[in-house]
Amino acid sequence: MAKIVIDGKEITARPGAMLLPTALDNGVFIPHYCYHPKLSIDGSCRLCLVKVEGLPKLTIACNTPVRDGMVVDTRCEEVERARRGVLELLLVNHPLDCPICDQAGECYLQDYSFEFGIKAGRSKEVRRKLLKRVDLGPRIVFDQERCILCRRCVRFCREITKTSELGVFGLGDGSYVDVFPGTSLANDYSVCTADICPVGALLSKDFHHRLRVWFLEETETICPGCARGCNVRLGTYRNRAYRMLPRRNDAVNETWMCDEGRDTYKIVNHPERLRKPLLRRNGTLVEVEWEEGLAQAASLLGQAARRHGPAAVAAVGSAHLTNEESFVFAKLVRLGLGCPNLDLAVRLGREDSILIKAEKAINGRGARELGVSPGPDGLDLAGIGAALAQGALRALYVVGGDAVHSWSRQTLERLEQLEALVVQDLFLTPIGERAKVVLPGLSFAEKEGTVTNFAGRLQRLRRAVDPQGQPSDGDIFLGLARLLGVEVPPGSWNPEIVFSEIAASVASFRGVRFESVGPLGIELAVEHG
Amino acid sequence: MAGRVVEVARKARPAVVDTPSLWAIAVGLAVTGRHFLSNLWGFVIGRPRIFTVQFPEERIDLPPAFRGMPVLVQMENGKERCVACGLCEWACPTDCITIVPAETEDEVERYPMVFDIDMLRCMFCGLCEEACPEEAIVMSQRIEVASYDRPGSLWHKEDLLVPAHKLGKRLGFIRGDYGR
Repeated sequence: MAKIVIDGKEITARPGAMLLPTALDNGVFIPHYCYHPKLSIDGSCRLCLVKVEGLPKLTIACNTPVRDGMVVDTRCEEVERARRGVLELLLVNHPLDCPICDQAGECYLQDYSFEFGIKAGRSKEVRRKLLKRVDLGPRIVFDQERCILCRRCVRFCREITKTSELGVFGLGDGSYVDVFPGTSLANDYSVCTADICPVGALLSKDFHHRLRVWFLEETETICPGCARGCNVRLGTYRNRAYRMLPRRNDAVNETWMCDEGRDTYKIVNHPERLRKPLLRRNGTLVEVEWEEGLAQAASLLGQAARRHGPAAVAAVGSAHLTNEESFVFAKLVRLGLGCPNLDLAVRLGREDSILIKAEKAINGRGARELGVSPGPDGLDLAGIGAALAQGALRALYVVGGDAVHSWSRQTLERLEQLEALVVQDLFLTPIGERAKVVLPGLSFAEKEGTVTNFAGRLQRLRRAVDPQGQPSDGDIFLGLARLLGVEVPPGSWNPEIVFSEIAASVASFRGVRFESVGPLGIELAVEHG
Repeated sequence: MAGRVVEVARKARPAVVDTPSLWAIAVGLAVTGRHFLSNLWGFVIGRPRIFTVQFPEERIDLPPAFRGMPVLVQMENGKERCVACGLCEWACPTDCITIVPAETEDEVERYPMVFDIDMLRCMFCGLCEEACPEEAIVMSQRIEVASYDRPGSLWHKEDLLVPAHKLGKRLGFIRGDYGR
């Protein structure tokens, strides 16, 4: 281990590690643009200049390896002057676009100029004119004038996605970033380039001119798009979701997230979302109050189970439910309906070797572990579909809309002949349209709970948007369970109480407490046998 | 602390009007009469000497430091100078400004699709004007915010636009005042 001194603070570092990450990890802040912890070192911005004792000139901290006995100064007059100079030169050609630039408020050029730069520009030259509003790809808009040529985006496309669409063209002060001729920035992670862009050059089209960032409240939660469970910050303002940005978690998503995942926030305030239970009366679905919807759902399912036996009843769970909800759902189906025909429906899609997983829902693994799977001699999802096609089922309880993708159109049409079809979903799907009772669920942004990703990491979903009195999926399960005579915790839905019940009864959760699942999640014990 | 009760001996009010009060009435009538006659004479010769202004029809020219309701500066081409940066919305202590930005094909790519000021909430403090980086929202001399219903007190972008040449005095004042 190498012992170094930065600003009079003694730090033990791994020899060979670079000075900048060592300083940052130890709480010494050095401003930087081109350095990114997950990308190769470029050394192009020259902002992280520091003074190292014994070296004749200032040196960039991002590309200087730590050496035993090194004495570094990051705050002396010489360093401050160099920094001021670098920032002044970066601003010589930077347009005064802040009032119309989406990055304003989270722009590192603004922040560092304010903290380390000079108050007013001295340059009398005309600013260089380059292209504005360049359409780089389906999700990215680019402003060449605002670019400071740190090349983070170029390195990202070379090193992380390995698609190399971007490059720096031209020489000297005529250099600019652009896509190679004939290509477009259309990889699955293209918006990450806007995240790592320290200025407002690369911007997400989806968020472009929608809201100033200082109005956003950010909640640390999990992307519900696939089984990876990327850590995200969900930006909301006045109870509406506006954008989702990745949050660093080296065990899950490093600092990236896919473009598809960024769109998942759009369901939260979707105008077509169901808000009140629907009940079929004289052939059409009409809105009813919650008490009536729940009572009808419970009596339809309960009667069918009593009259035709549990084998004629089936239930389909959703991998969008949290662990706690899945646990109570499985309990409700097994004890309330006595039914072994229970399985999980998950939409499958594309996967890649970076982040994207095939299961397009967050909690497939968690739901299966907590009992949303066929019981002994119970039917699985395909079996339920087959039984439906043969007319062997009388009652079905479907949570989520993913079963649509698993069953054929003929099977879906058979749903109309069921005596009882209770559907719980955010939207009216082809299954919901044929239901006797439809109960509206809540989206990932409106509930609290835990989810387990594909690798068995337990992570927290946090409430970012207030559901404004709409009961959560957990409340629906509790209500149905009480009506069907299943013993559940008293009061309204509380994931913490259910979690302690899970921790007491499921092996992999033993000893885990709800509060101990921090912002980065925890690894669940590996199940043996 | 309990108060001390003081008995005050009051003189009984005289039953009839006494000479001093009659004198005071006469003096008062004389003052009123003098103003009436001199103003009447002023109207006759066409040079009224009163300070009263016949308000809705007549207005006085207020000093540029006066803060009336905020208005949006309209450029020569009829468009607003505002680029919907949201700083006034952020600075507003009463949250009376609502802006919905959108993109245009113009050189400045951003404009306010919606710019509403709730004049019932606005307290004419002028922080929006101070926050504005574009000199696009300024305090005018207008003060009439009354309306017959609540929606009427919500001023939209079209209601708020005032041509720049009519706001010259105030624009000159804030340039000097804020040193920009």
